[in-house]
Amino acid sequence: MDALSIKATEDTPNINFDPATGLLEISGRSLPEDAAGFYKPVLDWLKQYASSAKAGSALAMKLEYFNTASSKVILDIFNIIEKIATDKKVIWYFDKDDEDMQEAGEEFSEIVNIPFEYKTY
Amino acid sequence: MSEEILKALAQLFAIITKQGDGVTEKQRQYVINNFTQKLDKDSVNEYMAFYDERVGYGKEKKQRADGAVPTKLTSVKDSVKTLAICKKINETLTQPQKFYVLQELLELIYADKNYNEERKQIIYTVSQTFNVAEEDFQVLEKFVLSEDGLDLNAEQVLIISEENKFHENNKFVKLDEHCKGTYLFMRAPSVEVYLFRYFAEEECMLNGIKLEAGDTLLFSNGSTIKLKSGATFFYSDIVSHFLSAVQDVKLSFNAIGIEYRFFNDKIGLTDINVSEDAGKLIGIMGASGAGKTTLLNVLSGSEKPNKGSVCINGLNIYENKKGVEGLIGYIPQDDLLMEDLTVFENLYYSAKLCFGEASRKDIIEKVHKTLGDLGLAHIKDLKVGDVLNKSISGGQRKRLNIALELIREPAVLFVDEPTSGLSSRDSENVIDLLKELTYKGKLIFVVIHQPSSDIYKMFDKFILLDTGGYQIFYGNPIEAIAYFKQMARQADSQSGYCVACGNVNPEQLFDIIEEQVVNEFGEFTGKRKTNPTEWYQSFKEKFSFKPLVDLWNVHINVPRKTSRLNQFLVFVTRDVKSKLSNTQYVAINLLEAPLLAFLLAFIIRYNNTEANTAYVFRKNDNIPAFILMSIVVALFMGLSVSAEEIIKDKKILKREQFLNLSRMSYLYSKVLILFSLSALQTALFVVVGNSILEINGMFLPYWLMLFSVSCGANMIGLNASSTFNSAITVYILIPILLIPQMILSGAMFSFDKINDVVKNKANVPLLADVMISRWAYEGISVHQFAENKFNKRFFTLEQKEHIAQFNTVYGIPHLRSGLEQLGEKLVKNKIEKEDIGLYYRPAVLFVKDYAKLLKLPKHDYEKLDVIFTEINQNNIEKLQFYLAQLDEVLNILYNQTSIQKDKLITALDNKYGEGYTLKLKDEYYNENLAEYVRNVNNAQKADVYEGHLIPKTEYIYFAPIYSHGVLDYRTHFFSPVKVMFKHTLPTYWFNVMTIWFMVLIMFIMLYFDFYARIFDGFKKLKKIINS
Repeated sequence: MDALSIKATEDTPNINFDPATGLLEISGRSLPEDAAGFYKPVLDWLKQYASSAKAGSALAMKLEYFNTASSKVILDIFNIIEKIATDKKVIWYFDKDDEDMQEAGEEFSEIVNIPFEYKTY
Repeated sequence: MSEEILKALAQLFAIITKQGDGVTEKQRQYVINNFTQKLDKDSVNEYMAFYDERVGYGKEKKQRADGAVPTKLTSVKDSVKTLAICKKINETLTQPQKFYVLQELLELIYADKNYNEERKQIIYTVSQTFNVAEEDFQVLEKFVLSEDGLDLNAEQVLIISEENKFHENNKFVKLDEHCKGTYLFMRAPSVEVYLFRYFAEEECMLNGIKLEAGDTLLFSNGSTIKLKSGATFFYSDIVSHFLSAVQDVKLSFNAIGIEYRFFNDKIGLTDINVSEDAGKLIGIMGASGAGKTTLLNVLSGSEKPNKGSVCINGLNIYENKKGVEGLIGYIPQDDLLMEDLTVFENLYYSAKLCFGEASRKDIIEKVHKTLGDLGLAHIKDLKVGDVLNKSISGGQRKRLNIALELIREPAVLFVDEPTSGLSSRDSENVIDLLKELTYKGKLIFVVIHQPSSDIYKMFDKFILLDTGGYQIFYGNPIEAIAYFKQMARQADSQSGYCVACGNVNPEQLFDIIEEQVVNEFGEFTGKRKTNPTEWYQSFKEKFSFKPLVDLWNVHINVPRKTSRLNQFLVFVTRDVKSKLSNTQYVAINLLEAPLLAFLLAFIIRYNNTEANTAYVFRKNDNIPAFILMSIVVALFMGLSVSAEEIIKDKKILKREQFLNLSRMSYLYSKVLILFSLSALQTALFVVVGNSILEINGMFLPYWLMLFSVSCGANMIGLNASSTFNSAITVYILIPILLIPQMILSGAMFSFDKINDVVKNKANVPLLADVMISRWAYEGISVHQFAENKFNKRFFTLEQKEHIAQFNTVYGIPHLRSGLEQLGEKLVKNKIEKEDIGLYYRPAVLFVKDYAKLLKLPKHDYEKLDVIFTEINQNNIEKLQFYLAQLDEVLNILYNQTSIQKDKLITALDNKYGEGYTLKLKDEYYNENLAEYVRNVNNAQKADVYEGHLIPKTEYIYFAPIYSHGVLDYRTHFFSPVKVMFKHTLPTYWFNVMTIWFMVLIMFIMLYFDFYARIFDGFKKLKKIINS
């Protein structure tokens, strides 16, 4: 399986999924005009990856901001990760001053069944 | 709504309000209004405080004073919060409820008309998380936010306005001349929800509650919208605009001037008028005994009215049964399920009967789909079970009943009390189901008793009946309440609804209709304030009836009829499956026969040998009794197994009568199954019984005869079952059917020793000839005696021997003493007319019969006729002389045959070894049976009948003495042969054929329901006599 790599733009995040290490990283800002369209290849890639995921896969979320439409897609991403049979986790990064982002992570952790790890940057 | 959901809703409101420029008074007011509808005043304050805190109401103003710019972007926390709330709501609310939530969120936007990008995104995300169909959301968004309807452009929108200035994609209906405004309806097909908005100055009421222009409201089942200017929009009318299926079905149902009288001339229905088109749910209500079910029966065509007509698409349903075939469905109040079959099988076989020509795969698919639609898929493999032994619930039974009719998709469906005995939840489900069918264009009539408010509102119209079958209302349900309230001069009579809760109270109707006059002590007098005729008159005055135009020549597709052969196959497999799955039934039927055989044979295996050696068949005195008992057992088994057959199916047949199934196929299936069962049972009986009693080499003859008997009994049972209404009646009837069979079997009471009225001197009495038992008993006995391995070799010889012996010992002496008496009378000249037949003719005929043995010279032989025509002393002497000579000749013949017989025995013994014949005799010949068939114990040995000498003993050896004509089958009992059409047949085969002839006659009677017709005839006769 090939790695997935999408470069960041003004409105879209940087995506770096490496199946070899099991490290899946999304970073930057996410407010694409067409959230569903932008994330479709990401979701497709993940669905395929989920069936043969490495143990100890980690989804690293290093977002500065995401809009409501993106939040729905992020939930979809979590739902896929949730189904990975082996060991997995979400690493939620937030600016230590960004309380909003911290609480968003906590909200997410309540609606999905994946262990969350919080890190500041 | 639960607290949790309300809190969730308040949060959603808050999040949406916060976006962009923050909370406005208008929005806040909307939220207050929204909560006011759902909550009491205290709680509203509590929730508003919660809301205010979330949106920062009050605080924000301060910030603004500081000049702070409100955040432009939705906070990530709010985004995720929204998701979390939606997820929570998803776990609790149904899809339509979620749709309302979405509608409320959009209305919140409409309140301040600021639909910015962030709010849009949140609402869209909510809609997605709720899994609301994309298209429905698109239409809903525009519908709720529209300012005038001009921007709407969707098929799911109906606009009623003065002129069509709207987009052509919308549905449009022109408003009544004198009314003004624009009235918008939308339908969300995925959740089957209807919404309403309007723009007009006019006052507009939804179910009696005043509305605000621009508000979006749920337009629920049974709702009515009334404009001050008079126009009314009924739910069913609005809905029918959206449902293309309803518009595609062309149907007119007109029942005009129906009057029905019962058998006893009591009035059942008076002047009933009904006129409907496709896609309506019509309720029939009335006090008990008002004729609801009668009306249903008349409208469905199962009872013909005395006056008036019922036409579907112009075809009179009583006269043109063929034309309306398959159009009508009927669901009776009782369950009509095959209790021993599973849910799936019930529906499958029913479907097979309607769609017999479709492929198995298609039918199975259809069945699965129907089960799925009715929520029965998960119980499809459960046995239905009876009412006492339930495996599926009452509601499920009811739904399965409906499914049976539904799968056929009749255009007009009649349902009798579908909710009786069901929980309110189940009742509502059932009516929901019927309502859904009307969306597909079905016209459904439902007899309903005490409907709840919700159920009541689901009906498009009601027909109210009062005692005596008077139609006292026909129209919209809510109007019904308003009308009766008005008639009773009750306060608030304009509204049929409770303004506060939107509920209606159908019971009010009957309280008003049946209100009693109170006397001065405040007690009810039992006299009604308004009697049925008065209600009927006032209804006639207030409401005019305009029937729809009959839609002639409109063809409604019905499934192709199943061929008779396929019907037969379905009937057989369904019945067999049903029987096989009933373990008790199978076990009893299979064990009954061998068990009885064992019991019987074991007990009567009587050893009559002197030396108490091994059992010898020859010596068992009980063989004749065994033959009788076998026949009784065969009759009993045949009768009891068939007695309930048709009764059990009666209700199912009533429903299936609308399928116009072939009665022949049905009866054939019954006959095939019962006869097979009879064959098996009798075979088991004979195998066990005959082997215990060592009746050798007789399996097939016994079995065939008992099988025939059992089949005969099956036919008797089926006839009884088809004539009477209850199984108990038939079981009570069994002794009446069976005991005559025993009395007149010829085994218990000799036909020679019965009442003279019944008795026939020479032959078996005619009364006995209609008894299956008598043919069977005679057949088996004769066959057992004459055709067993031992007698077979000697029968012809013995026949000669015994006839000669009888004639010498009894016959000739009888004739000679007769002649002597005649001689004496002649001397005294006292001869009477009957003496000739009594004394003279028998002797003459006897001599003529045996003339050859006398070896008379030719001229003497010719002279015989002349001599015998005249009675004189000379001729009597001549006869005496001939008889004496015959006596001698026959004596010699007897001796010769005896010697011949002895020789044969010796020859056999020599051939097969010493004692062979004796052994044969021990094993195959039965002494007691021989006594019976030879009738040796009869005191009277010879008699005269119609000028013939007849034997009263040695029956088994005498062929019929004489016969009257080709059709005269009659003989004495145990005659070895029968004669008919001048052909001689062995008694056994003749008797088997006779029984089958009776079976055939009974089948024909069954086919034409002979006895039931006779019963009906009696009823009619009684009616004529009474009047």
